[in-house]
Amino acid sequence: MTLEEVRDRMKAARVEIAENRLEVVRRLLTDALRPIQAMDSRAQRTLEPAVTFDTVRARGDRGQ
Amino acid sequence: MASEELFYATIRDIGARFRRRALSPVELTRAHLDRIGQLDPKLHAFVTVTADRALADARAAEAALGRGDISSPLLGIPIGYKDIYATRGILTTGGSALLKDWIPDEESTCGTRLQRAGTVMLGKLITHEFAFGIQFPGHRFPAARNPWDLERMPGGSSSGSGAALAAGMVFGALGSDTGGSIRGPASLCGIAGLKPTYGRCSRAGVLTLSWTLDHTGPMARTVEDCAYLLQALAGYDAADPASSREPVPDYVAPLGRGVRGLRVGVPREYFFEGVDPEVEKGFEQALGTLRQLGASVEDVQIPSIQSAGAFMAIMLSEAFAYHERDLREHPELFGELLRERLMAGALITGSEYVQAQRLRARLQADMHAVLRRVDVLATPTSPKPAPTFTQVYDPDYGFPRGNTGPFNMTGLPSLAVPCGFTASGLPISIQLTGRAFDETTVLRVGHTYEQATDWHKRHPAL
Repeated sequence: MTLEEVRDRMKAARVEIAENRLEVVRRLLTDALRPIQAMDSRAQRTLEPAVTFDTVRARGDRGQ
Repeated sequence: MASEELFYATIRDIGARFRRRALSPVELTRAHLDRIGQLDPKLHAFVTVTADRALADARAAEAALGRGDISSPLLGIPIGYKDIYATRGILTTGGSALLKDWIPDEESTCGTRLQRAGTVMLGKLITHEFAFGIQFPGHRFPAARNPWDLERMPGGSSSGSGAALAAGMVFGALGSDTGGSIRGPASLCGIAGLKPTYGRCSRAGVLTLSWTLDHTGPMARTVEDCAYLLQALAGYDAADPASSREPVPDYVAPLGRGVRGLRVGVPREYFFEGVDPEVEKGFEQALGTLRQLGASVEDVQIPSIQSAGAFMAIMLSEAFAYHERDLREHPELFGELLRERLMAGALITGSEYVQAQRLRARLQADMHAVLRRVDVLATPTSPKPAPTFTQVYDPDYGFPRGNTGPFNMTGLPSLAVPCGFTASGLPISIQLTGRAFDETTVLRVGHTYEQATDWHKRHPAL
């Protein structure tokens, strides 16, 4: 992510961050978004964080 | 002044002294209030000391003991609450100037449960600002200091909880953990801290940082003390939408079963990047101890572990969503660093947030698969020992990646236990993580390791 992209995102989000702090924010966002940008969303098996509606929860199903 | 030994006793030991009338809850509470008065001016662990409330709680405990009511192991035990837990009629600041005068009219579920267990509330413990920023010099609330070295951070965000425990000012504390805020301070202060499974302990009445990552849980000086606190805290709460109806087992009785036959998996990828050599050495020695105690230790692979960095995208987005209105209306009431971090959350797109949650689902699936083959995962808790204030006050310090966030992503129970000291005397810690709702095994491994070592018996010179 470039500093210019950080500025574009700030404009879109209507927030202000001091110019001398943009590099720190750029690094924070770059690290946070790295795995997302590396992900091929079309190739990914469907793993949506979907809500499920089970009237009786199966025993042994301890997934989160 | 009571002896140091009293302030570092275990909850079990204090209970035994109460029952044989060798000590009274009022006497113990007065001794702790004196100690807080003596030590806290240099540690800044407390935001509010509730002396009157503590003495009232202690008298109630003493009356219960007089009636022979000794059913709760926490009866008369002095504790503190991280200052993001709402306390009815008592200042609750969140470590923030925004809430400097907030006196809630309701109590958190965790607080209510600890009161029912007969604990003595000594006061409210400082938290990093809204559990995410840090207090720079000049902030409305001073930062807590690490009892092992006053020039160093005690970790965060449950900074006061960690400092108060290490200094022998409380026997237990409520912490909260969104990315490591229980386990980090536990690691840097040389104490134990448990982030239970997501949904195990209620978040009702606790200030939000990030809805899908926030956990509440206990901090104490020993694993057994954590188990006693968890026993009182765990269980369904209709006031928390994420609360689980999973039955609550006995967390204390199985602690003594040892680790023989248990399988410990060590994920070498991700968790050792940038780890301090002394931390790594202490961790490897801890693995050796677990082997000697009868556990088998093997390396494991978590295929999607590198996606754990997406944790920050989720936390920043959710934290901005929670604070957006106040940020836009009263930005001046947020510390500069917190404001900057929260604003960064506004720069993450909706699509990126959704993709981060999809990566999280894959990481959860991978970790569940690994935990079908091993009973617990072991990693260093913090890659480095406690940093100095000079380091963290550097404007370019940033937000170092930790080893704890992946288990907030997956919601799995995760325990920090002391596993050594650096040559300069700073604590280091091993992190043990288990299957969802299997706190019992995590605590059992931690307790067995702890009882075979004496790290938890060392205390800072204050």
